[in-house]
Amino acid sequence: MRLTTSGVSSNFSGEIVGIVTTDQVDAEFRGQRIRLLSTDESSREPDLTGYRAAISVGEFLQHPNVPFIQRLRETEHLRDGDIIAINGKTGFVRSLYRPYEHHHHMFVTERCSSNCLMCSQPPKDKDDTEALTKRNLELIDMIAPHPRYMTITGGEPTLLGDNLFALILQLKEALPDTELHILTNGRTFAWGEYARQFSTLHHPNISLGIPLYSDFAGDHDFVVQARGAFDQTVAGMHQAARNDIRVEVRVVLHKLTVPRLTKLAEYIYRNLTFVEHIALMGLEYVGYTPRNIEMLWIDPFEYQDQLETTVEYLTERGMTVSLYNHQLCVLRPSLWKYSKKSISDWKNLYLPECANCREFENCGGLFQWAVRKHSDHIRPFS
Amino acid sequence: MADPSVGRDHSKAVVRVETALVSIDALMKTCYWFSRDFSCGIERDGEDAARVVLSAKDHVSEDQIASVQREFLAQAMDFALRERIDARTSEIRDLLLAKAFSEAGVLEEKPSGKFGDAIEEMKPDGMFKILSNAQR
Amino acid sequence: MARSFYALQEFAPAPKHFSLLPFRFTRFSEKELLVNEAGEFIFVAEGTIRKLLDGSIDVTSGLYRDLKSKQFLYDDTSSPLLDLLATKIRSKFNHIYGGTKLHIFVVTLRCEHSCHYCQVSRQTAARGEFDMSTTTADRAIELMMASPSTHLTLELQGGEPLLAFEVIRYIVPRAKKAARIRRKHLDIVVTTNLACITDEMLVFFRDEEVKVSTSLDGPAALHNMNRPRPGNDSYERAIEGIERSRSILGSKNVAALMTTTLASLDYVKEIIDEYVNRDFHSIFLRPISPYGFAVKTKHRTGYEMQQFLEFYKEGLAHILEINKRGFRLTEVYSQILLSKILTPFGTGYVDLQSPAGEAWNVLVYNYNGDVFASDESRMLAEMNDLTFRLGNVHRDTRRSLFTSPAALKMFGASCNQALAGCSDCAFQPYCGADPIYHHATQGDMYGNRPSSGFCARNMEVIKHLFSLIEQGDPIIMRIFWSWLRIQNSRNEPSECD
Repeated sequence: MRLTTSGVSSNFSGEIVGIVTTDQVDAEFRGQRIRLLSTDESSREPDLTGYRAAISVGEFLQHPNVPFIQRLRETEHLRDGDIIAINGKTGFVRSLYRPYEHHHHMFVTERCSSNCLMCSQPPKDKDDTEALTKRNLELIDMIAPHPRYMTITGGEPTLLGDNLFALILQLKEALPDTELHILTNGRTFAWGEYARQFSTLHHPNISLGIPLYSDFAGDHDFVVQARGAFDQTVAGMHQAARNDIRVEVRVVLHKLTVPRLTKLAEYIYRNLTFVEHIALMGLEYVGYTPRNIEMLWIDPFEYQDQLETTVEYLTERGMTVSLYNHQLCVLRPSLWKYSKKSISDWKNLYLPECANCREFENCGGLFQWAVRKHSDHIRPFS
Repeated sequence: MADPSVGRDHSKAVVRVETALVSIDALMKTCYWFSRDFSCGIERDGEDAARVVLSAKDHVSEDQIASVQREFLAQAMDFALRERIDARTSEIRDLLLAKAFSEAGVLEEKPSGKFGDAIEEMKPDGMFKILSNAQR
Repeated sequence: MARSFYALQEFAPAPKHFSLLPFRFTRFSEKELLVNEAGEFIFVAEGTIRKLLDGSIDVTSGLYRDLKSKQFLYDDTSSPLLDLLATKIRSKFNHIYGGTKLHIFVVTLRCEHSCHYCQVSRQTAARGEFDMSTTTADRAIELMMASPSTHLTLELQGGEPLLAFEVIRYIVPRAKKAARIRRKHLDIVVTTNLACITDEMLVFFRDEEVKVSTSLDGPAALHNMNRPRPGNDSYERAIEGIERSRSILGSKNVAALMTTTLASLDYVKEIIDEYVNRDFHSIFLRPISPYGFAVKTKHRTGYEMQQFLEFYKEGLAHILEINKRGFRLTEVYSQILLSKILTPFGTGYVDLQSPAGEAWNVLVYNYNGDVFASDESRMLAEMNDLTFRLGNVHRDTRRSLFTSPAALKMFGASCNQALAGCSDCAFQPYCGADPIYHHATQGDMYGNRPSSGFCARNMEVIKHLFSLIEQGDPIIMRIFWSWLRIQNSRNEPSECD
């Protein structure tokens, strides 16, 4: 589903975060809300006093005295209750939070200390941390109802320094029951002092999702395109564990990680025994991946042997494993019980052949960009 | 090369070894493992070699003597290998055991390498510089 | 400014040379078996060790990657991760942290059995004569609580402890209270032949959460032959006792241990089948105890150990077949060794540790207050050998027990890292030291490895397990892992007897 749209902005030049409302609400609720007007409504002269901003597809005959964006290209993706950020300079409207979704992400920076060959969010060397932190602090206060889980993602969240701590503390206060999962390369945690500071935040329910792509330092460093990353990541996981910070390992499955996959499992078992969960993830054809597809692509159907052996290896030893981003027709049946329907709601898609598949309800489907690249073995179960 | 030779007495096995290949210490360690069934004697044989005489405590046949010589030589070569491994690794082993049994943090390596992105590395007061100064 | 991508060589350049990390080795089925300080192992082709020493391993090969990843070598293209290896080593020595966990209270020497292999019990003693007094019990509880361990196991032993049930009734609530005050977790077990168990006793055990451990040597004829008592009905009483205990305490609180005698050696399958028929899910194939007999010639000990090893191998094969048929039956000693070989964890089993578990992990408080480093050393005392008597509860503190001449002398021989034969052994991280065993069988705490029954048994069992690991039959490995998963999830210190 669409994440962004744009229009023509007026009356403001900065960024405004607010909750979408498609109906008029009483004055006391308007302060946090952005009124979304239909073409019809915007052509009349709606009373917009007190709203944080207004957005519409149509044009305003008379300019409202609140910040507004008109001539939006799309609005079907916006629903009542969505939290959005609108930009006065660019006219961009970005959806930050959709209460009805199952998976929630908080995006904190595009900066990253790694440059993974298959990164789905290619890093930018521009310091956006102050602006995004300001945005996210406002977002946190508006989130309703409280979600069960929230993933903090980037780029590399730890590069926010104290700003990350501020976000976590704010989440602890505003959404105390929400379980946080931070996607990080774990390298900053190699500094014991950082791990200690992180643990003193005392968030009651937080874990780190850290990628590890090989048991061999050079291979991992190549995949993440950063020298010394393996050493730092392994040290980081240990410092985190020592400070009682929960750690999960993530592995993206592609041509560079599949050959030593079982050895990686062994490495995790012997060296990172404290890891509470291992997530094995299918490749996303997005971000850097298309550029590096020759190096990366292996039809998931072709690695089912290694995958089965690896999952068996880990579960035999009492470790918890999940498979993400795989279609059931491509997975060995013995692996189905580990497969999670995890593709974020806005990325999710099914191919035409999926329409009559018996397992449609149980299968997570594919990524949107999978139309361009997917297994040759997608077929319906009858 | 080491050179086993059969003694006249059928309950004795004699093995001659060049001490450059297998040290006296390694020979003694090998003898230790044969000492349940053999009395062992080691004597120098010239400047470069040693003779090991294994006297069986119970009677053994000629075939058994030959097999004992082979077995002794094989084990002696392995003890020589162990000496070489030990020479290369005993220092780091001491360090590892010291680290294993010291209090957390006391003997730990300081993190090294580049941690930040280009933006962080360029800051004079970047977070990793601060962390580096904070770490003792 | 867009970033560039760099080739593999930038991150994984071929190192010009590499350095070794410490390891020991043995030759095994035409391969070389390398074991590092953390107990991680790798099978490599013959000749690999020479190549490691000569620096001629192909640094671009899968073998090189394996050796580096398992920390047998390192190079300057990345960190040797010494802190990681040190952490793994420390995990394997977990047993030395936390102090003594197992405390055995000998509540009485009286017993109505006259088992051949027992050295301690008094059949004709009057009540009270060889029972633990309340003052002794109080002091023993104090000393037990002085252990820094947050998890304690109190084992009530004898003779036959149920003959002194009043002493048990005295000790249990006081020990539990003392543990509560110090916020220690306390498990209590009573080791009994169950011949005189009553429902009253079982209700007490149920209410106080006391577990029961009993002897089951095998089918009736064998068990009764090993364990004579008036009426020659030890087996029948044991079975009845097990049934009643299970119904009142629950099956998971009733365990059985076997003692192997010369007579047992021909009946390994029958013994195992007995355990299966009685619905036990673990069995411990132990060697014949060397304690208490007159000093034997080393050949006789050696012969008996060889026979035991045949007994064990045949037994393990039978047990694996039983598991394949769907009945989960763990062989306890194999499970302990497999845990040391295949998992990163340390184990709590006191009889196979380095430093030895004696005193560090177990203390025995005799009925008269004498404190011993292990149950076996108490048996030696019955034959007037007080070498391992550390002191007495009425005279000593924990500190004085651990710094007594007996303790210090024993500690000197407690580390296999420093014992002749063991210091170079590939199986060092999996094995242990046992100064008491060697003193009893060889007259020397340090022991003579080539003629040591302890060494023969452990080396042979470890080799046997490694041969199964190397063959890698997935069904057998799956069975082994099912045993290891139970152990890790239970997370209790294993009992020793």
